[in-house]
Amino acid sequence: MGLEVDIIFKIAGVGIVVAFLHTVLDQVGKKEYAQWVTLFGFIYILFQVATIVDDLFQKIKSVFLFQ
Amino acid sequence: MVKLIGAIFIIVATTVIGFEASRHLSERPRQLRDLKSALQSLEAEIMYSHTPLHEAARRLAAQLSKPLSTFFDGFAGKLIDTETTVKQAWETSLREVWKSTALKKGEFEIMKQFGETLGRHDRFSQQKHIMLTLSHLEREEANAIQAQLKYEKMVKSLGFLSGLLLVILLF
Repeated sequence: MGLEVDIIFKIAGVGIVVAFLHTVLDQVGKKEYAQWVTLFGFIYILFQVATIVDDLFQKIKSVFLFQ
Repeated sequence: MVKLIGAIFIIVATTVIGFEASRHLSERPRQLRDLKSALQSLEAEIMYSHTPLHEAARRLAAQLSKPLSTFFDGFAGKLIDTETTVKQAWETSLREVWKSTALKKGEFEIMKQFGETLGRHDRFSQQKHIMLTLSHLEREEANAIQAQLKYEKMVKSLGFLSGLLLVILLF
């Protein structure tokens, strides 16, 4: 359980920092950089979440389906 | 514990990089202003006191602050010590000092072109060339001030935030 909470905090942290970066870059008119930063943050988090969901599916498979 | 120390190091390093970049941005208008006052003094030396060029450069070096004073010092030294033209001496000493200033390519070209005219005309057309260079530098200064207002804060917060992001990603 401890690991899961860690990962939630990590995602939240990345979200906050990326949001800040986006606003800062947006304010000075570097819209394209802001969008790239947001996109990369999103992709990184997507990978994290994908591995966790993969874990979940493996567990479901091992509980309900044949090995 | 070690992880924490590493995280602090990363954040401190990126923050320092951000502050250094913003110092570079705020240094540029100041140095452009210095450059302008140097050219004005040079004009006064040429027009009113008829000083020879190496003497004028030496006086300017004494008046000005660090990066520009080394430039005029080197220029005066080259004029006296070596067998060279004013144009070459001006350009080589400009190149030598340019790395240690916060100034950019545009200013370099302006100063280089000014060096090509230096000492080749009578006093009045020399004065006109100085005026022309001053107006070019004025334009660059306005640009530099605009860039400073726009990017100074951004660079600072960008340094800190990118450090934070790096720490979170690596943790």
